[in-house]
Amino acid sequence: MGVSLTGIKQLFPIFLDKPQLVFLDNASTTQKPASVIQTVTEFYQHENANIHRGLYELSSNATVRYEAARKKVKDFIGAKSEKEIAFTKGATESINIVANSFDSIVNEGDNIIISGMEHHANLIPWQQLCIRRKANLRVIPVNQQGELILDGLDLILDSKTKLLAVVHISNTLGTINPIQEIIAKAHQKNIPVLIDAVQSVGHCMFNLADADADFLVFSPHKMFGPMGTGVLFVKEKHHALMKPFNFGGGAIREVGIHETIFMDFPHSLEAGTPHVAGVLGLGAAIDFVNNFDLKESSDYTNRLNSTFREKLQAMNFVKVIGQPKKTGSIVPFIVDNIHPHDVAGFLAEHQIAVRAGHHCTQPLHEMLGLQATVRASFSIYNTFDDIDKIIEGLRELRKFWL
Amino acid sequence: MNNLNRLYDEVIKRHNSQPYHFEKIENSQFSLRAYNPICGDRFDLFVELNDTTIYKIHFYGFGCAVSKASTSVMLKAIEGKSVDAARGICAQFLGMLKNELPENEILASEEFKSFVVVREIQSRYDCAALAWTEMEKYLSQTFYS
Repeated sequence: MGVSLTGIKQLFPIFLDKPQLVFLDNASTTQKPASVIQTVTEFYQHENANIHRGLYELSSNATVRYEAARKKVKDFIGAKSEKEIAFTKGATESINIVANSFDSIVNEGDNIIISGMEHHANLIPWQQLCIRRKANLRVIPVNQQGELILDGLDLILDSKTKLLAVVHISNTLGTINPIQEIIAKAHQKNIPVLIDAVQSVGHCMFNLADADADFLVFSPHKMFGPMGTGVLFVKEKHHALMKPFNFGGGAIREVGIHETIFMDFPHSLEAGTPHVAGVLGLGAAIDFVNNFDLKESSDYTNRLNSTFREKLQAMNFVKVIGQPKKTGSIVPFIVDNIHPHDVAGFLAEHQIAVRAGHHCTQPLHEMLGLQATVRASFSIYNTFDDIDKIIEGLRELRKFWL
Repeated sequence: MNNLNRLYDEVIKRHNSQPYHFEKIENSQFSLRAYNPICGDRFDLFVELNDTTIYKIHFYGFGCAVSKASTSVMLKAIEGKSVDAARGICAQFLGMLKNELPENEILASEEFKSFVVVREIQSRYDCAALAWTEMEKYLSQTFYS
């Protein structure tokens, strides 16, 4: 608590290496603080051993630290037990694991509900599950403001609904969805809910005590942690449903030639050697985030977000896409007559990193009548100076193309 | 700024704002799609053949200035050419982008040179190569298999 946000850039080696870098692609991945990089490096340098296997000190230490990271994740998201936390390769794999497990209970005529603003990672696994099981994929529509239209939710949640999977903060529009309300409606009918919290955990307050999700996925690399690790939270009452995703060592209790008895969740999901260094790095990322007052840091990124939105709206050649009432620090926009890639390419020459394209939400773009957008997204190390630079960059872009 | 001025030179800017034969043609004799799923750039190419000559070609769709201009330049370069010659021109343009052409090779069009810059701006290579790659594949598969 209480570490100041001022000067925070200095905790990230990449900004010491590239002081001119204006990094506004945080929704893709955040930069890594020295403490996370060091944790990963030191593991390989001084502590490397496989977990759950060796009786020697290095191995048992690695196991203890790996399991300690699980507890950190549990505390961080407010889960009841560390048994509810599985480590995966990433949020995409986490969702695929859940979809794979639902195979056994989704039958012809059943349905799964998602929203029209899902990332492909929270769309395709359900779409493919529905194709495999001859089930229906129902979609909560999105209005032109970029908000979910929840009026009809009660109608589409029915006795055939096996799961509702929805994103907390849209990776494209920045919309913060009212997940408490959505979860409450689904739970009234005993329908479990999966929350894609990839853009929320670490950026704003997110706690399972506030939002009673049955399944929750997130990607540590979007909250200062290493790439290649992911988290899957599964509420204990659904553990019996969870099927192993990869078969192999480490996830088994007993193996015969013709049958295998698997371990319980979460170990049943962690076959093979896990990304131990990555998980320890995730632990360091949680420690890093916990250094800050979460309210203070989310207030700060909210101010960056609203300042940038206001400045964009004051420019007559720029259009901000969607006007949701509540947004995370993600801002999609287009520039009159200039393709998003030419915008991003121009800004790149000014050391400003933004994303251009469909951001893995093609159906949403289609619904909005757009092929692509430019997206700027903020993290706690961004500054108001960064905003001035991108605004200036957009003015120059305009001059350049006129 | 240097790279920007080189990438968006007069040729590219002009072909982007006034692309050659930028029009959707219904019921064209042949059509093919140049699509980059990563960025979403998508151009449909409408080809009219007269015997083995590309008699008319149009394109329509959505893409960045570089992919749009490069498609426009391609249309100008291959229209009126035989399938054989068009295929050679595609190979030449792509060879130029990949830096595989012998030095002093005489290019089919002076305008090609505007795209050499993507050798240094790797992130835009796919933009410049998009329609050409698809056209080369199309010509090879359709007429040489």
